[in-house]
Amino acid sequence: MADFEAIRRQFPILDQQVHGRPLVYLDSAATAQKPQAVIDAESGFYESINAGVHRGAHELAARSTVAFEDARAAMARFVGASAEEGHEELVVTAGATAGLNLLATAFGYASMGRGPAAARRFALGPGDEIVVSQAEHHSVLLPFQELAARTGATLTWLALDDEGRIRTDTADEVITDRTKVVAMTHVGNVTGAITDLAPVVRRAHEVGAVFVLDACQSVPHLPVDFHALDVDFAAFSAHKMYGPTGAGFLYGRRELLEALPPAWFGGSMVELAWMDKPAQYMDPPARFEAGTQPVAQVVAAGVAAQWLQSIGMDAVAGHEQALTSELLRLGDIPGVRILGPMSATARIGTVAFEVEGVHPHDVGQYIDAQGIAIRVGHHCAQPVHRHFGVYASNRASLGVYNTMDDVHALLDAVAGVRPFFGVGGTRAE
Amino acid sequence: MMPMAQDDGLEQMYQEVILEASKHPSGRVAFAPDLTDEAVSAGESTVMAPHEACAAGESHQFNPTCGDEATIHVDVSDAVPHRIERVVWDGHGCSISQASLSIMVDLVEGRTVDEAMDLFRTFHALMESRGAGLAEDAKADELGDAIVFQGVSKYPMRIKCALLGWEGLKDSMARALAQA
Ligand SMILES: Cc1ncc(COP(=O)(O)O)c(C=O)c1O
Repeated sequence: MADFEAIRRQFPILDQQVHGRPLVYLDSAATAQKPQAVIDAESGFYESINAGVHRGAHELAARSTVAFEDARAAMARFVGASAEEGHEELVVTAGATAGLNLLATAFGYASMGRGPAAARRFALGPGDEIVVSQAEHHSVLLPFQELAARTGATLTWLALDDEGRIRTDTADEVITDRTKVVAMTHVGNVTGAITDLAPVVRRAHEVGAVFVLDACQSVPHLPVDFHALDVDFAAFSAHKMYGPTGAGFLYGRRELLEALPPAWFGGSMVELAWMDKPAQYMDPPARFEAGTQPVAQVVAAGVAAQWLQSIGMDAVAGHEQALTSELLRLGDIPGVRILGPMSATARIGTVAFEVEGVHPHDVGQYIDAQGIAIRVGHHCAQPVHRHFGVYASNRASLGVYNTMDDVHALLDAVAGVRPFFGVGGTRAE
Repeated sequence: MMPMAQDDGLEQMYQEVILEASKHPSGRVAFAPDLTDEAVSAGESTVMAPHEACAAGESHQFNPTCGDEATIHVDVSDAVPHRIERVVWDGHGCSISQASLSIMVDLVEGRTVDEAMDLFRTFHALMESRGAGLAEDAKADELGDAIVFQGVSKYPMRIKCALLGWEGLKDSMARALAQA
């Protein structure tokens, strides 16, 4: 049994007062806090290893390259991707947004005829379709909406049900034999709902489309195995999984990475460059890693993956699920509506809610004054909010370090919101 | 579950005048499209007919970080000095933005455009004061109820909320004058 109290003590940032109260951090869906091991890995890299990777012949360059590649391999083992040399399936990116844009850009180049012959499978044109869902973060919606606009393809989407779950039961109708790309989130960053991926992935493959997964909100909270999920590409960010900002990974099935044209060009991605002949690009993953990479961050991200693996993702999910059941009691507070599934099954501990009669900005201010950090706004997912008929919402999201006390502090604070603002009764003194 | 004790900043920010004004705002009428409606695209608005002998100006203000949104409509007299005959608005947002719009309407309706611009500058100075308020009492008195936003000026993230309506007023007056 993992000792979650001891785990919490590994996060130095949590040991502080905010507005005269102990900090309660409930905004891990935005970014997670970092355990000492990750902080030490990043600063330790600068203290004893720092050098460019894959270039130069000196000792530090060698150590740096080994640390970087070991981190890639550790992350690959953690998410069910190949770590084998020469068959790597993780591309280093600056984060999920960068990974998704890289992919959409590369598909765009494939549509213009760039890349190896095998890249034709990514080519889009008028009459073709890209399918997303209405639950998408803007980081999925916008790159693929732009790709559709650039290529003349049509963007269609799976709708949401009343609870905000993606209507995967409509996959067979929405995904047609014109569909070339399906891009979808594994876990909604507003609703916390876990997508039932199997019917969508199966249908995508049935019509010959590639399936792109946004794994940002699943990798930190659930056991995730990209091979087992049978997805073709997947993007996620290190900073949401207790690693540093500035680093992320794009998973691609090896044969697809080999078929994909590069999206960015520069140093370290080219084998032969000439003035008067086309360049010859490197094999993946280097082909997609132009320029100096966030090496210290990637090394620390590898440590974050090993750190999570040592706790065990089943234990992490179990811990968070127990807290989620309690957190969902938000829905019992008068005037509070949960925007997402009401039960703790097939969802994570990211819970968006509305307090009737009090704008999220005001709710957030009141909650913050109690030393509790939650997110307010549209969480980069405006269409999801439109689905629920609201402009913005409040969102509490759990991480490994949260406790029952944290959840109770939030429940108490939210219960005080309407009395404070004099809504649904008289103002509390 | 009992409401918790509040810190002072919160009480200073959410004064009774603000909460009251946000619940029953002055000048709010429904004329802009409902943007939570999936059928309506963002940003479009229906320009209202001006009063007789008036130039109408309208300005749409949006704060993308929190989604606060307001369309401000003014009718400005053709006669000089140009006078604000009517200010109405439609929108949605937090209690700070809504109360600020309401108190602004009460303050500027019937004033000349020049007087309203003076108030705009004074209110701006208040919001930039980081909680300290205005040095001159006379200036503070001119702001009337709008002085209650002094508590908000301590919170950098909320200053934009209080200024939303005022920015819209300035812009819509300029648009009205461009027609007059
Ligand atoms: C579901 C989802 N997708 C994509 C992103 C984008 O991640 P990043 O901002 O780290 O690139 C986020 C984070 O905000 C997210 O929650």
